[in-house]
Parts: sequence; C-alpha cells; structure tokens
Amino acid sequence: MYCIEARSLSKSYGNLVAVDSIDLLVKPGKIFGFLGPNGAGKTTTIKLLTTLIPTSAGTINILGIDASRDPLEVRKKIGVVLQQPSYEPNLTVEKSLEKYGMMWDVDTRTRRNRVEELLSAFDLQDIRKKKNDDISIGQRRRVQVAREFMHEMDLLFLDEPTVGLDPSARRGLLDYIKGKVRDGLTIFFTTHILEEAEYLCDEIAIINHGKIIAVDTPEELKNKFGREKTIKIHIGNVENIFSILQGVGNYEISHDEGTVITIHSDDSEQVLVKILQVLNSNDIPVEDLSVVPTSLEEIFLTVVKNSDNNLGAKN
Amino acid sequence: MHPIFRLVNRNLTISLNMGFVIWQVIFPVIYIFVAGFAYTALIHNVPFGQKNLDYPAFIASGMIGFNIMNSTLISGIIIWNDRRHGMFEQILVGPFTRAQYILSNVYTIGIIGLFSAGLITAIGYPLFFKSVEFNLLTVPLVVFASITGAILFGSIASIISTRLKSSEGFNVIINTVFLFFAFVSTAFYPAQGAPPILATAFYLNPLTYLVDVVRAGIFGNFTETVGYEMIVLVVAAAVLFGIATKLLSKLEI
Repeated sequence: MYCIEARSLSKSYGNLVAVDSIDLLVKPGKIFGFLGPNGAGKTTTIKLLTTLIPTSAGTINILGIDASRDPLEVRKKIGVVLQQPSYEPNLTVEKSLEKYGMMWDVDTRTRRNRVEELLSAFDLQDIRKKKNDDISIGQRRRVQVAREFMHEMDLLFLDEPTVGLDPSARRGLLDYIKGKVRDGLTIFFTTHILEEAEYLCDEIAIINHGKIIAVDTPEELKNKFGREKTIKIHIGNVENIFSILQGVGNYEISHDEGTVITIHSDDSEQVLVKILQVLNSNDIPVEDLSVVPTSLEEIFLTVVKNSDNNLGAKN
Repeated sequence: MHPIFRLVNRNLTISLNMGFVIWQVIFPVIYIFVAGFAYTALIHNVPFGQKNLDYPAFIASGMIGFNIMNSTLISGIIIWNDRRHGMFEQILVGPFTRAQYILSNVYTIGIIGLFSAGLITAIGYPLFFKSVEFNLLTVPLVVFASITGAILFGSIASIISTRLKSSEGFNVIINTVFLFFAFVSTAFYPAQGAPPILATAFYLNPLTYLVDVVRAGIFGNFTETVGYEMIVLVVAAAVLFGIATKLLSKLEI
C-alpha cells in the first residue's frame, strides 16, 4: 500500500492549469522530495493532497483513505507545515506548542512532555517565554515546524520547512526529520535547496508547468540525466599544453598552481583516455586526477531546461 | 474533547488577554460612572414604561447591550488574525472542518457576550438596583439578548473580516460601523425627544432592539413591542449568520 496514491490529479483556476494530470506514488516510511521551480505547482499539489482545496480532476488516496470522500479522516492522520508562516502572535513559544497539542486532542501529560522534548530538539529553550510576535522569522519557522510534532501522525507534509533557518538549525531539523522517518513516519518534502533534497530524500519527483517531468531515486536521476561529468587533471606547468592537446576534444585549460585540464562533456571518460594517452606519449606526469560528482542541482537544472525547451518547441 | 470545544478553548486563550479585559471593563465604567453622572445635569429622568429611570440607571443598562456588541468584535478579530497569520489554513489542514471553525467562533462570541453582560450587570447594578424588577423573565431575557446579540454583531464583524485584507481597512471599517451602531441607538440616550430622523434611525439599528430587550428584562417591562423586537433580533441574527457562514465557507485559501 502506498501512503500517497494520486492518479491523474489536476487543478485549474479558470484557464490556468496549476497541476496537470499528475500521478504520485509515495511508499511508507520514506522521504519523498517534490522539487520544481517557483510557480511549478508544488504548493498547489500539497494543498490538494492535504485536502485544503478541491481537485479539478483525478483521485487522491492518502493512507488508504479516499481524500475526496473523507477529507477529515485524512487530516486526522497527517501533519502539515505549510509554506506560509502560521502562528498566534500573542502566545509564547511554549504556549503555542501546548495549545497546538490541545487542538489535536493530545492529553495534558503527553503535551507537557512533548513541549519539553521539542523545545530542546529545536533549540527553543531560550525563547520559550517569548511571544511569537517578538521572535525572528527563523525562530518562528522553527516553532512552526516543531509544533507539528506535538501530535501523532503517519504522514507529514513539509512545504519548504527550512526557509529562513540558519545552516545549523537547518541541519538540526533535517536530522530530526531523519530520526522520525527511522521511527516509521513518511514525509512529503518540498525545498528549493537541492543539497537538502539530496541529503534527505529516498525518492524525488520534479514538477514543471504543473507536470511531473521526472521521478526516481536521487542516484537514478543522476544516472539518467547526469551524462555530463566533470573531470579535472592536474599537471605541472606545461607552456605548450594547448598545442600538445590540439584536436583531442572538449576540455578547458586553466593555470593556477600548475596546469588544470577540465573535461566537461557527455563523453568525459573517452576524452580522459585520449588526454592521458597524449600526456603519456609526451612524458607529462599527472599530479592529480579528480572527478567532480554530478550534483542534484545540475540534474534539476538539466531536467527543467529540457522540459522548458520541449514546451517551447510544442508552442 | 469535541473539536469545536478545542477550538473555543484556543479562541478564548488567544482573545482573553489582560488588554481585552481592561478594554471590556474600562470603557463601560467610564461611560457609566463619568458620562452617566455628568449627563445627569442635562437628562434628569428617562421615562421607561411605567417607570422613570434616572440617567445613570438608564445608561448602565444600555451599556450591557453596548458591551455585548463591543465584545463580539473579537469574532472579526479572530478571523482576520487567523487569515493574516496563516492560522486559518493551518486549522483547516488539521482535524477540523470549516463548519466547526465557524461554530467555534459562534460559541466563543456567545461566551464572551454572556461574560460581558454579566460583567456590566455587576458593575452597573449599584446604579440601577433601585429600579430593578426581577421576575421570571429577567434572566432569560438578558441571556437571550446576550446570545442573539453576540451572534448578530459577531456575524457583522465576521463578514467585515472576510472582505478586508489590510489592517488599516479592517480597523477603519469595523470602528466606523460599530461607532455608528453605538451612538445611533438607545444605548446612551432615549429616542423620545430626539429629532424624528434620528429617532427613526435608532430603530434601524439592531443595538436599539438589543438594549430594549435587556432593559425589559432588568426593569420588568416586557411588552408586545419587546416581543416584536426579539423576533427582529432573531431574524437579523439568523440572516447575518447565514451570510457570514456562506462567506467564510467560500473564503479562498
């Protein structure tokens, strides 16, 4: 059984198609990353999956419940941290957590324990008595995310939860999330920080112009779309290197402490072999050789660019 | 606990701060004890049914209705703040329905309305105790006025809060509307003797009916007219509550 099973899901606002017949399958106990450029349809998809807005077409099944038939039952089993800030301005940080737990019908003793646990886990002890109106945007975001862990849930939607967080708070949050997933929680996660997605996600979908343009594990996405590899060859100072490597193919040369030959192409390995042969035949020793791994960011940019180009070609 | 009561608990927690309570007490106290006694020089007695009320007793009883109306501003403020600070969406992705959110606001303003009525009755009692005529209808009439008035004015505040996005717009409109309700009514002065146009305007204002029902309860003057006024209040409250509910349930996210 999937935690999220959406089929042919669409949402239109007049002539604007925000989400265009997408399919989503999320397995339990996994972190599913949902990436896309601004305005691609990520937040609309989250609002559809969390039953906040009605669908224009398609079906949604969350944790085995038909979301259109029983949205309240769905909402009782999920947690949602929306992209936009949400807070009670005149409540203190600890009171916000406590009241949120009360709203979810968590018993008093559990609430008290969880408040203490979350204040520590999210580094909120120093500001526990401060009102939400008097704390920084990043602190408020931490409270907003922490608050969602006041109640039990099987599935958590996190829409850009790390916006406004400093690097250490961000890492702390990501590790806390990882811990919760180890305990069995499933997470649907959107972000613009691709290192986060790479660090966290078991599976990633990329959406652009309301359509899913790629879905796979981060590694498989790299294998599929990361054909261009970057290889750097460090050699000593060789002044006539251009003439030596003439005709070899795609490479760039830069001079720093010595000479660096950078290969960045679809057939980096073949270019590398040719260059090594030339260097060897000219008795030029290789001091260092490094392969720069393809980042998810490059994959993301490639996939989105291809999708934009395809759309442009169709239009 | 039922979801509606959990939301009411939350509404009361975020609304009932010291500032609100002071505002709820200080304003009526000033009106009752300062304006009440200061205007006694101008208005000696106000005829009311078979009685002649002194002005402090008249204004103290009017302040009960005024405070019920004033306290229901909280309904608009809760909705407006929830929208502004993202809690409206957050609640609706939680274990609540829109209907529960709306009903929780009704319960909240009902509780605050009753609290306000009780508070001002206690504060104003020394002034109108000489004229008080307790009977079987006293408490039911005051409770009826508190709840109907809270729903009626709470609905008006809710309607305004669903239509306006800027804080300036919300504050200006809500204060203007409620200022009109407060002063174009019989809460502060009797309709008798007022210019005919103003006296007519008094009776286009639901606060007048609310205040009349409260006074009928306190001073034991239940007449046929008061019965009609109660019907007008119920109908107006039902219509406005229907409009507020419709607007809230259509509020875009």
